[in-house]
Amino acid sequence: MEVKLDKRYELGVPAQNAWAVLSDLESVASCMPGASLGEKLGDNAYKGSVKVKVGPATAQFGGEVEILSMDVANKSLVLKGKGADKGGSSASMELEATIEEVDGQSILVGLATVIVNGKFAQFGGRMMVQVSDVILKQFVDNFITKAQALGGSEVTHSADTGANESHSETANELNGLAVCWALLKSWFGGLFGKKPAS
Amino acid sequence: MNAPVKTPEERKAELQGMGDSRLRKEDARFIQGKGQYCDDIKLPGMLHMDIVRSPIAHGRIKKINKDPAMAIPGVHAVLTADDLKPLNLHWMPTLAGDVAAVLADEKVHFQMQEVAIVIADDRYIAADAVEAVEVEYEELPVVIDPYKALEPNAPVLREDLAGKTEGAHGARDHHNHIFTWEAGDKSAADAAFANAPVTVSQHMHYPRVHPCPLETCGCVASFDPIKGELTTWMTSQAPHVVRTVVSMLSGVPESKVRIISPDIGGGFGNKVGVYPGYVCAIVSSIVLGRPVKWSEDRVENISTTAFARDYHMDGHLAATEDGKILGLKVDVIADHGAFDACADPTKFPAGLFHICSGSYDIAAAHCSVKGVYTNKAPGGVAYRCSFRVTEAVYLIERMVDVLAQKLNMDKAEIRRKNFIRKEQFPYTSAFGFEYDSGDYHTALEKVLDAVDYKALRAEQEQKRNDPTCPTLMGIGLVTFTEVVGAGPTKMCDILGVGMFDSCEIRIHPTGSAIARMGTITQGQGHQTTYAQIIASELGIPSEVIQVEEGDTSTAPYGLGTYGSRSTPVAGAAIAMAARKIHAKAKKIAAHLLEVSEGDLDWEIDRFKVRGNDEQFKTMADIAFAAYQQPPEGLEPGLEAVHYYDPPNFTYPFGIYLCVVDIDKGTGESSIRRFYALDDCGTRINPMIIDGQIHGGLTEGFAVAMGQQMPFDEQGNLLGNTLMDYFLPTAVETPTWETDHTVTPSPHHPIGAKGVAESPHVGSIPTFTSAVVDAFAHLGVTHIDMPHTSYRIWKKLKEEGVQL
Repeated sequence: MEVKLDKRYELGVPAQNAWAVLSDLESVASCMPGASLGEKLGDNAYKGSVKVKVGPATAQFGGEVEILSMDVANKSLVLKGKGADKGGSSASMELEATIEEVDGQSILVGLATVIVNGKFAQFGGRMMVQVSDVILKQFVDNFITKAQALGGSEVTHSADTGANESHSETANELNGLAVCWALLKSWFGGLFGKKPAS
Repeated sequence: MNAPVKTPEERKAELQGMGDSRLRKEDARFIQGKGQYCDDIKLPGMLHMDIVRSPIAHGRIKKINKDPAMAIPGVHAVLTADDLKPLNLHWMPTLAGDVAAVLADEKVHFQMQEVAIVIADDRYIAADAVEAVEVEYEELPVVIDPYKALEPNAPVLREDLAGKTEGAHGARDHHNHIFTWEAGDKSAADAAFANAPVTVSQHMHYPRVHPCPLETCGCVASFDPIKGELTTWMTSQAPHVVRTVVSMLSGVPESKVRIISPDIGGGFGNKVGVYPGYVCAIVSSIVLGRPVKWSEDRVENISTTAFARDYHMDGHLAATEDGKILGLKVDVIADHGAFDACADPTKFPAGLFHICSGSYDIAAAHCSVKGVYTNKAPGGVAYRCSFRVTEAVYLIERMVDVLAQKLNMDKAEIRRKNFIRKEQFPYTSAFGFEYDSGDYHTALEKVLDAVDYKALRAEQEQKRNDPTCPTLMGIGLVTFTEVVGAGPTKMCDILGVGMFDSCEIRIHPTGSAIARMGTITQGQGHQTTYAQIIASELGIPSEVIQVEEGDTSTAPYGLGTYGSRSTPVAGAAIAMAARKIHAKAKKIAAHLLEVSEGDLDWEIDRFKVRGNDEQFKTMADIAFAAYQQPPEGLEPGLEAVHYYDPPNFTYPFGIYLCVVDIDKGTGESSIRRFYALDDCGTRINPMIIDGQIHGGLTEGFAVAMGQQMPFDEQGNLLGNTLMDYFLPTAVETPTWETDHTVTPSPHHPIGAKGVAESPHVGSIPTFTSAVVDAFAHLGVTHIDMPHTSYRIWKKLKEEGVQL
């Protein structure tokens, strides 16, 4: 199952800070809920894993992540990750991420092609887009927190700081319950005509 | 005091023979939870098997690491293709003359293909160990669309067939091509089209569906290393054929292989084949010397063991302007998945698809079926139908509707005009089938009268003219003919074994009896109905006749139960075996009554001396005498075996009519009325026939209105749980009205034709006919299944239907 994502997030931090986080694979990985980097395989490649927990069930995707190209001038990079879990699912993602600057505001632009195979595609296929949205929202929140920590500018974004606290850098697993809750909220939101959070 | 003398009618009723709606003997144990299914078998020391499956649809296996699984306490073995290689069991022959991987050998060809097996102390450890086996894949491009599979640069799926330009069914012209099979006369059909005033064409896809029996597949294999005997309880619709296959594959002599099909929770074709799970459980039991159980879960069942259909069909009809059909041409692309594991008689890679001229007198016809490999699970079984007959009936019934629309003729009228007439039987079709008997006109009029067809059409007309009407009304009509009861051994075999069937009857001294059969019931009620045939033939009450099937060590060799063959073939074997006993009983009766055989008349349950009702011997009297004082020159005992080789297939038919109302706003459909008239020849048990028809109609409803196995471009099967795969319950199922006519088969000993599959075969195009009819005034000639509310809603939008 292939899903294409085209996302823009206003970051509210200086573009320099945002690029500093984005261009450092270890920093980016630490923003991804449940992700951790392992053995370094090369200059721009690591072994990595993502852990997903839904209730009592845990799935651990193990794989590789690599920066395929980086364009410092345009603050843009292309990253490829792929992995598989032992329960019969595999996933790969090619992501082009760019920090754009518009009127002094920095915007994270992400174009991603995600391919999921196996049980995740079979059972979760119809939820893919929604789940991706929720995970990316958590990622961006963490990303902003991390970029802010680099200092250098007044914070102007309006992200919910309470939520940021709950997704601290040390979070080492993707909390399925939180994902479900967020999904439920956005679904109900949709029912009553409210625009989804992202 | 003497007991009152019973009238012949009373004696006949007591037998509960043919025509009696006797209650099913099987149900007492089923409704009490006392059935013995495969998964109920528990043997001392039994181990459990689970299967490591591929998450991807096409790829090369780079590495398999068993160590983490082997390190789990309670794990006995992890086997891969490399372990089976020395035994030459990593590949196995299929029923269709191809080979299929038992465990993936270097490559995986479809999602959830078997890659390795784990044997452990219990099911839970086995499941944990499956997750611990590490498999690395190199992904390869996936081919899901059979048309794309035939493109010149399509990825090569079957590398093991490299360079093989000759398949089991003739030349292969492309690396993903399996066979091209043709029937009929192409030049005659072309000529009919060239001169025809009217022609119509329609493309249609009969989607991939799954029989999805309530009980999934499984087995318990138990090899006794001391005796060298292998006993396997297995969910099999054909235990004797499986014994032959197992013996051939394992090298264990057939006399030391015992296959037992215990109670089976529905088969519908899904339990005909030999699956890797069975083979691996058997190998494991032989290697470990302990019993091994394997039971599929639901996801495995829908994903991997035998699907059905997946025919992409192009139909063409040529006709006169007043609707007389002159010619039929059909081209099919058949998606067989990764291995050709179709369960068809050997000589027919597209089964009996050439019954696609249906109930109509068509002078010229030709069909061509091209089998193609794709990255999907293998199969292609006859899901509650005779081999590919469902596809054939769907094709012709849709085409006749399309033609009627083109000519602006009524559906009933065009059928009347083209039916094979009663006096034409036996009728040889352009494809060479010899239809045994039929009376289509009488049956059609009966249905049209019963539903008041004219009034329905008037109502539809009125609703179409009323813009405020919230629904679209559709009337579906199908007048189908099946070909079942495979089959004559001169035409039909499986792995070289002719498709006869068998029966052995023993009459015990006190007049009760046991019959053993080569078939196996999966819900058909054989224990009930077979006894009724014997009761009528021999005058022994059904109640004291035991019917046993499914154990290859006790039952005579038979080809099993599928393709509506039990009654047409095994039912005939019963009657013939009973008649052998009847003939011997007559000799004994003549001896006992001291008259010549010619002086005896048979009446219900006794031979009586002609003209003297007081002088008679009942079958019970005769049975005792057979063991006590048989006449000189006659061996003691009263039993017979018969292997029946049918002279022809049987051709049941039916007329089905469906009224559907479609909500213009939501696309939801409601089956207002479904009227099913079946003619299965002589009726053995009307209650069981009704039950069979209800079941078949419900499964037809499932296929037409909801069942689907969709794949994404990566080959993920998006619909392998009962969350997605539609299995109707009483909530969704419409009310069925049944009716019948009786046109016995002239070549069958009791005139019976078989019925269980007709309602499935016949109802599916009826639903489609009804749904399309709802849109017919908008110029729509065909809509592919399944007719889910969403798909109908999309069609409503496409056609601009206003609420």
